[in-house]
Order: sequence, then C-alpha cells, then structure tokens
Amino acid sequence: MTDTAQRTDPAPGHGSTPRLEMRDISKRYGGVRAIRHADITVLPGTVHALVGENGAGKSTLIKILAGAERPDTGTIAIDGQDVSIGSTTDAIALGVQTVYQEPQLFPELTVAENFFVGREITRGPTIDWRAQAPRMLELLDTVGLDRSLASQPLGALSIAKQQQVSIAKALLEQASVLILDEPSAILTDAEIEVLFGVVRRLAADGVSIIYISHRLDELFRIADEVTIMRDGETVSSQPIGELTVREIAERMVGGEIAEGVHKEGEHGDLVLELEHLTLDGAFSDVSLSVRAGEVVGLYGLVGSGAAEVGEVVYGMRAASSGRMRAAGDDRHPATPSEAKRRGIRMVPANRSSQGSFSFQPIAFNITIGSLGLLGRLGWVSPKAERRISDDLIRRLAVKTPSGRQPIGAMSGGNAQKVVLARQIVEQPRLLVLAEPTQGVDVGAKEEIHRIIADLAARGTAVLVITTDLAEVQRIADRILVFRSGRVAHEFPPTASQASLLAAAAGAVDDPAAAQTATGQPVTDLPGLPTPGEEPR
Amino acid sequence: MSTDTVAPAVAKPLSLRRILPPIVTGQEIVLLGVLVILWVLLGIFTPAFLTPASIGPLLVQVAPIALIGVGMTFVIITAGIDVSVAAMIMVSAVTTARMLVAFDIPAIAAVLVAIVIGAALGAINGFLIAYGRVHPIIITFGTANLFQWLGLRVFDSSTVNGIPSTLEFFGRGGAGSTLGVPHSFAIAVIAVAAAWWFLRYAKAGRNLYAIGGNQNAARLAGIKVQPRLVWVYVVTGALAGLAACMVIATGTATLDQSVGSGKELQVIAAVVIGGTSILGGRGSVVGTLLGAILVQTVVSGVTQLGWPTQLGFLFVGIFILVAVGTDLIRERTRRRA
Amino acid sequence: MTAVTTPTTADQRREPSRFRDWITGGALKDRAVLLLALIVVLLVAMAILDGVGLTSGRFNSDYLASTLIAYVPLALLALAELFVITSGRGGIDLSVGSMVSLTGIVFAMLYQQAGLPLAVAVVSAVAFGALLGAVNGFLTAYLGYPALITTLATFYAYRSIALVVSEQRPISGPEISEFYSAAKAIELPVIGGGLPLVPLGVFTFLLPVAIVAWFVLNRTTYGRKLYAIGTNDTAAQWAGIDTRRTRMMAYVTAGAIAGLVGVYTVAQFASARPDAGTSGSGMALPAITIAVLGGVAITGGIGRLSGILLAALLIVWLNASILLVVPGNEGAQAQLLALGVVLLGASLLSNATIRRRQGGLAKPLSVPGTAPGAK
Repeated sequence: MTDTAQRTDPAPGHGSTPRLEMRDISKRYGGVRAIRHADITVLPGTVHALVGENGAGKSTLIKILAGAERPDTGTIAIDGQDVSIGSTTDAIALGVQTVYQEPQLFPELTVAENFFVGREITRGPTIDWRAQAPRMLELLDTVGLDRSLASQPLGALSIAKQQQVSIAKALLEQASVLILDEPSAILTDAEIEVLFGVVRRLAADGVSIIYISHRLDELFRIADEVTIMRDGETVSSQPIGELTVREIAERMVGGEIAEGVHKEGEHGDLVLELEHLTLDGAFSDVSLSVRAGEVVGLYGLVGSGAAEVGEVVYGMRAASSGRMRAAGDDRHPATPSEAKRRGIRMVPANRSSQGSFSFQPIAFNITIGSLGLLGRLGWVSPKAERRISDDLIRRLAVKTPSGRQPIGAMSGGNAQKVVLARQIVEQPRLLVLAEPTQGVDVGAKEEIHRIIADLAARGTAVLVITTDLAEVQRIADRILVFRSGRVAHEFPPTASQASLLAAAAGAVDDPAAAQTATGQPVTDLPGLPTPGEEPR
Repeated sequence: MSTDTVAPAVAKPLSLRRILPPIVTGQEIVLLGVLVILWVLLGIFTPAFLTPASIGPLLVQVAPIALIGVGMTFVIITAGIDVSVAAMIMVSAVTTARMLVAFDIPAIAAVLVAIVIGAALGAINGFLIAYGRVHPIIITFGTANLFQWLGLRVFDSSTVNGIPSTLEFFGRGGAGSTLGVPHSFAIAVIAVAAAWWFLRYAKAGRNLYAIGGNQNAARLAGIKVQPRLVWVYVVTGALAGLAACMVIATGTATLDQSVGSGKELQVIAAVVIGGTSILGGRGSVVGTLLGAILVQTVVSGVTQLGWPTQLGFLFVGIFILVAVGTDLIRERTRRRA
Repeated sequence: MTAVTTPTTADQRREPSRFRDWITGGALKDRAVLLLALIVVLLVAMAILDGVGLTSGRFNSDYLASTLIAYVPLALLALAELFVITSGRGGIDLSVGSMVSLTGIVFAMLYQQAGLPLAVAVVSAVAFGALLGAVNGFLTAYLGYPALITTLATFYAYRSIALVVSEQRPISGPEISEFYSAAKAIELPVIGGGLPLVPLGVFTFLLPVAIVAWFVLNRTTYGRKLYAIGTNDTAAQWAGIDTRRTRMMAYVTAGAIAGLVGVYTVAQFASARPDAGTSGSGMALPAITIAVLGGVAITGGIGRLSGILLAALLIVWLNASILLVVPGNEGAQAQLLALGVVLLGASLLSNATIRRRQGGLAKPLSVPGTAPGAK
C-alpha cells in the first residue's frame, strides 16, 4: 500500500524553463566535504521537497542558494539565466526568500512592524502605514492569520503563529523561490493544514517552493517532486508520485549495514523504569525500561518528544503524570542535583548553550560536575583536580596539550568529549545522552561511541536520545522510535535504517513488513502491535 | 481554510489602531493611578499640597529629570545606559554660567551653548559605545570621570558667582511660569510628547526598539545600528545641556561644584519606574515622565507631611521595586500567552 | 572492549605551547601583568620626576605607604563588586556605598552607644551587612529582578535608613576615637625598622579578607560554582549547581564586605558619618571602576583577586602621584581625568582579548535558524 498523493493537479509550469537550476555544486569546510556533488532543478509553480539526513548536505545547499555561503564549484541559474549569489542581499534581490526554523524577528515589536523592519516605507520621518498596511494585511490573510494580530507584539504570539508571520514576511518581496526549512516541525495538525493551503496557493501563483522536511508522509500531501540527498550528493530527483515512503527512506540511508558497537555481557537489574509518563505538550504515556549494562536508544525526529524524556529523567523538568523509578527510588528527581545524587547523569543536547563553560579551562569543565570529589568540606584541591582531569583526558583521548586550555577554542569533537567526561568522572548508574555526537567529526564520533559501549560493559545503564539514525543503530541494544510524543515502535538494532526512519517519519504502513538490513523479516519485536491493531 | 477563499477586499477603512500598539501601556495607567491616589491622599493630609505654590516648585524640580529622562529612555530602549549625565549637567551648567557672568549673553545664546556642549559630550559617549564594542556602563563610567574633570577645570575656583537672572524663564519665580504652569515643566512635557510621537510613528524611533531587542537581527534587517546609537547618546547629552539651564535657573546666583550630583540615578530611577525595561527593546517616555513626577511627589510629600526628608528616598527605593515588579509580572504573563 | 588509544605524541611535542597557553588560556593573568607593568612604569616615572625636582613633595616609600589608608576600602569594595559581577546575569551592586554608611552607623550605635565589646560590634556590623546583601540577593536571584534595579532601589533605601536612624548626625565618642588607632599607620613589627609606616588597616582589614577571598575563589567549591554561573548559567543548572543560591551568596558576601568597610571608615574618620558611603557620587562607582580595571568582565565569569588588588593599588598610587606633580585642586581634578582615561583605555584594549577568550575559533557568518555545525 503506497501512500497516494492527495493533491490537486500538478501546478502549471511543467515543461517550461526551470525556475531554478543548480548544477555540479560542491562545498568543503576545511577538511570536511559538506557537498560532494549536487544538482537540483525546480520548475516554476511546483513544490519541490528536499530530503536527507543530518549531514547529508541539504542545509549547506540551502545556505548556498540563500547566499549565506558560496559554492566551491558549480553554477546556479534562475529562469534560465546564470546568476552569482554572493550574499544574502543578492539572493533576496533575485527573488529567493528563506524562512528558517528560528526566524530573526523582534518579540517586542508588533507583528506589523516586524514585517517592515529595516525596509519601512516612509513619508518624511514617519512610517507611512497607509502605504504599507494594505500589502501586509493582504499577506496576513494569505497565511491565515487574523488581522487583529497586526497590533500585537510578536512575542505574545505562539511559536507557530510567529512562524506564520515569518512566512508572510518572506512573501513581502516578490519571491520567485521560497525556501521553507522544516516548517511543520512545530505545528499542530490543524496548523499544518493551513500551511499547506498557503503553500498550494503560492504554487498556483507560480512561486517555486523548496520544502525541506523529515516528515516523509507529509511530503506526499504537498510536494510535486522530491530530491534526495545522502552523504553530500543528490542521489535522486523525480516526481514524488513515483516513490513510496519506504523507497525514499531507503535512498536517504543508502541501505548500508551499520556496524554495531555492541558489547557482550549480560544486562543487570532494572535501573530506570518509566510507566505512562506524561509531560503535557511534549510526550504522553511513555513506558520504557533500561537495565544495567544496557544501551537503550530513543530515536525520533525533532519535536517527537524524546528529548524531553531525558530532561524529566534528569530532573530538569517535572513530569505531568506517570511513574518513574530510577536507581531504586520511586520519587521523581526534582532537580538535576537530586538526580546526580542517585547516580543519574546527563549529557545535554546543546553543547554550547547547555554544556560548555567556554572560557574556563578543560579541567574546570570536567570537574565542575563532581566538586565533591575535589576535597572535603567544600575544599578544592588543585592536585585532585589535575589528577582527575588528566585521567579523563587520557581515558577519552581528548586532544589537548594540557588541562589548562580553555574549552572554547576546541573542536566540536574534543569539546563534546570534555562535556561527556564531566558525567563519567564517577561511573554513573544511569547515563542519559542527548545528541551525543552532534557537530562532532567522524573520528571523535567513533571514539565517543566506544566510550559509551565501554561504560555499558562496566554496568552503567545508558539511555541515548538522538536524531542521528546511524548512531542509534550503532550503539543501542534496543531502539524505541518516538513519534508525536509517543513511543511508536520498538526495534532491535538489526532493523533496517529505512524501517526506523519510516517509523519515525510516520508511515509505518505495515509493521509486520519491517525488515532487517539484510532483508530478513524481523520477528522479535517487542512492543509491536499485532496486525490489525492501530500502529501508534 | 479552503484554497479558493479570496482575501476580502480591503473594504474597511484602514485604522491605524489595528496596526500600532495600544496608545497607552499598562504601566502608564498604573502609574497614573498611583499618582492620582498619592496626590489625593497628600491633598487630604496636607491641604497645602494641592496649591500652585506647592505644585509649582514640584513640577519645576521634575522638569530636568523628565527632560533627561527622555534621552535616557531612548538609550535604555537600545539596551544601553548612561551614567555620565550628572557630569554632563555639570559641564554644561558651569560653562554656561561662566559665559553668563563673563559676557552676559542673552538667554537664547545661553541655552544654545548649553545644548551644544551637552551634545558634544554625548557624541563622545555615542562614538565610544557604538564603535568601541565595550559595554555602555563601562564607557559612561569612564566618561563620567572625564567630564567631571572637564567641569571642574572650567569651575577653576570653587564656585561661579554673580550669575544674572537671564535664565529666569526656566526658574521657580513669577517669570518662570505662565498661568501657574512652570515653563520648564511645559518644555519637559513638550519634549515628552515629541518623543512619544517619535517612538511611535517615526521609522527611526521604531528602529530603536529593534536595536534594543536584538542588535544583530536589526543589523541584518538593514537598520544602520551604529549611527542610531551615536544619535541617542547625543540627544541625551543635548537634553542634559538644556536641563543644566533649568538647574541654573532654579538655583541661586552662585553655582557650586555639586551641581548635578546624583542626578544620573534619579533619572534612571524615573525611567525604570516608568516601565522601560533595563534589558532593552521596550520602553515608554510617558512612563518616564510619570515616574519622575512620582519620585518627586514622594520626596516632597514626605517633607510636607513633616516626616524626615530622608525617608523619601526609602520610598523611592520601594517604588522602584514595586513598579519594576509589576512590570516584570506583566511581562511574564504576557510571554506565557 | 578496551577504551581508547593514547593521544599521539605529536600533540605532546609542542613545548612552546605552554607559553601560548599562558597567553591565550591564561589571558586572565594578562591583566594583572599589564597592571603590574603600569605600576612599575608609574613608580619609575615618579622617581625620575622626583629626582629632577618636579614634585612638590617627597616621593618616597613613606608617602606611598601612607596612601594605603585609602587603598583598603577601595580594594575591599572592588572585591565585593568582583563577587557580584562575576556571578553573571547582569550582576552589579550599586548599593555598596549605602551599605557602608548604614553598617557604619549600626556599628557605632552598638559600640559607642550600647557599649558592646569591640569584637561583638564588629561581627554584628558585618552580619548586618550580610543581611543587607541578602536582601539584594533575594530580590535578584530568587525574584528575578535585574541587579541594576535591585541595587538602585536598595541604594536609595539603605541610604535613607542610615540618614533617618542617625538623624543625619555623625556618631562619635571616646571609644570610637580610640578605635581610630585601628586604622592608623604603624611600624611593622620585627622588620619594621627601615620600612615605612604601614597603615594597620592593611593588616587588620584588608589582608585577612583578601586571604579568605582568595581561598574562597580558588580553593572552594563555592568559588567554582560562582565562576560557573557567571560563565554559563544554563550549563551550571545542567551541571547540578543551585544557581540561585550561589548567586544569592555573592550578594551576601558583598554585603558582608561592605559591612567591614563600614567599620573601617568609622575607624578611619573617628566617627560614623551617615553619608560616609554616599557623599558625592558614592563609593559604588569607583569600586566598580576598579573591578573592571582589574579584569572583571562585566558579563560575568571572569575576575581575579590579583587584578583587583593591583588595579586599586595603581589607582591609589596614581592619584597620589598626581597630587605631587599637580598639587591642590587641580591635582584632585587631574585624578578624575586619569581614572577616566585609564578605565577607557583598559576596556577598549581588553575588548580584543575578551573576544578571543569567548569566541575561540572565528565562526563563519551563521545563517539564522540553522544549527552551527549542521551540514
């Protein structure tokens, strides 16, 4: 059963001059090749989906189109004319508008003012609202926002509405190419419908829309064509009706067999048990368990609720309802400090804002989580600090001449090791890791995975929460796929990446058809609904 | 929403009320209310309070604070601050006073001199802050010292004596008011009105909020951030110069070195009580005016009630906390919406 | 599975990196070195001027030592500001001057009027200062007021309480006059023969506090937590630190130090003046200036005791030197000029260093909405 496209007739423009043609694009950042070779052709008045895993290169491609980066090689043509996009201003002048996930708007200014900030129409010194307002009100109507919101400060609107404002704002200048970066990530179903309505209208008007999303099932409802990127290359580009969700997923991941970093050894007692845990607005009815020595992976797209589970387990947020039993204690940890006392540690998702003390030395960063070990009665002994940090630097192979270097100057991989080191100064009973290798180079990634495996081998219960598909497959003993705030399915690590991705992206057409990477049907899936049951 | 709904033709007349933020902010209303209550209470307990003889001098005291407060409101909206205004008052005042004594210049010239000096000092602040990329509080601490040095140099001896009454237009006496309304206060109100209009309707004014809200985003949006920053400090300086004339006028024929002392904190107090957020991006000049009146009411009310004068400052402190507290609560509930 | 490979020797071969460490990683020390260099330059310049006869008085170690009377309160209050500013999130304390006045009055009332023993009075004054600081801390750390607002309000409040309680009259009396001896200059015991008279206050007030402060900042868990919350409050929360309590304690500490300075000023002037800390522009602004000069980052997370001590010394000696070269009123004025120039110069210069510390590698212009590092 393939998902049938539920759309109106293809928009006009097929067969005419392509609105956008990017050919032979490549881009390196230092030693890393973000894009090896990319081609993309977008016809006028079509919705063109761009999909790919994190690291596949689609963000870079978009940055190049938006003028924030310049390609090393390749050409860009708009409406048949070769163009050079040297800056964001150039892009805008050429009619390329981008709506990012986090728009740079001003919460204190009104919606109306946010539209025009920096490009106000004036009469003398004053803003000429009579000239500006009609167009703005029109655009508000277009995106489905009530006109009365115009006088509200932007900060008073929900995030979803703020995004609608930023889309409307992008339409202010005549856009010929509109790039939407993960627009539905934060929207409710109803809001997504509104968004789709807007997108269809724009396409009907001849605007070409590049729609980036991980939510494969949605794409079938809105996109005409899809370009798939993997490992820095565009691997295929065709009308979306020619593919199924499964096929798209397979092309995204390449069907490679990931080599697992699994450890031998038995799993011990239950260290973490969640029963019907709910956090309003994030996740609901989550039940899972982790044993000593086990690595459980929570995999889901951004907004799936997996990240918040970690925050609740670590005491950063309080659950709305449900039971949690961690390290033998039934009470929910009220603060991270309490969680730590029970032997629960967590590596936060965002290293720079939540993990790193940027201008403090590495030794500081490592020991700040275990101040009690540095001496008695609140004392801190520099010798103890040096000893502990040197020990961890060695164990984790942190590349640094000394523990006195500030962490701010380090590469992502090294900095991440330091933040990880902080949590394993003492072997934790339960270690939660959120996005453990985001922004980390391949070599350090490998090393961090081995460290995690090693920890588990020594008896730590590990919970890895990640949006990195390959990662969760490599290191987890069991994978729980999250979608829309719930545990959708549980898979063994032998399940194919395509199955995992499809489950996370929402279209598990036939769970019984979940396959292992080698094509064998999967038979040992706990938690899978029996055929006939609604997959949740 | 189906795809074939056409946007309604703009049949309703375009009403700016539906586009611009409401005319008065919550904080302004609260302050007005508190002010009314205070005045009523004081009027009951000290009948002499609500007479022109008492209100007049109060408003005259308010005028320089409110005037500089306009500039300071601009500055704080851009997420900056200026603790050098007291020193700027001193420099303008002493220079102008000297010129009055030495050359007996006419009032217009005196005012011009004061404003130009203030603006020049403000420009120093502005350029250092806009291009030096050092926090405004540090810069203005530094310039406060510099300006103080400058002012004391102009003082030369310790006081300026024999200042003519040229500037009595701004003063407390009969020549300082018309129909019971002190000129200096009227000027302050005019300045507040102009600033209100500017912050609400002028592009440059609205852009100040953008700069204070997110300086980087403002730059990316095409706003010329640095010239605007220079400008707000120049304005503050110019207003400090004008305020210096008022201070001269309300003083005696002798000007001493303590002129302006402590004023910077009074101005900042008035601005934050008025609902301007110290973090930038949000602010109201009307609030500043009301805040200035409130502070002065408290201070003189205390004296009128026969309480120790110094108790007035205690109330100022409490008012700051209460006013900012209500503002913070209002902000938080608004964000949560 | 065995853990990890040992770091390659290539990384360990870089011996000269120790020096580079010191420059980049130890940028904090740079400020102290700069200040020390400036002090040396000052001393040399003054010695030359003195030798050539351009000074109006003798520039010698006696003179320098005598200036230390003013050094003690300045250094102490700058230290108080160090705690508060380093705690981050806009930390600042405008109320230290008022706290000095108020605790001075309280001390005088306890010691002189109530006749309590000296030790009790001193401890009570310090404890009272801590209480005043706790009010600041509670409003700022727990209620979420911006520190500028809180301490502006308490600046007014404490100042007025001091004036009202003392009925605007200084408190003095026999005990207090005797107390003056606690601050005056004395000969150093044992080695004192050839050395100048050093104010006792340096040893009874400044030295103990400086030693304790150094230990607290560098050798206690509290010190680590303080730097942590100032560097990255969110990360500190994630690391399990009680950020609110840590921040609150910074303000309490500032208050306690102010309390001690209150006692000191009573000794210094042999009377408790209710406007001791608030006359003129007050004591807060010079204290903050010294702190910033001493290397404290206004955004928090950076600040060392050595910088404070040296910055205060530089300013005190600079002021003293100026008085010798430019005597009288003009000299007092020139001090203001010097302070302003030094502050502006040091901050504008250090701006580059701070950017290097915080930024690490220069990042390419990031496009809003995309995570840095995402490809």
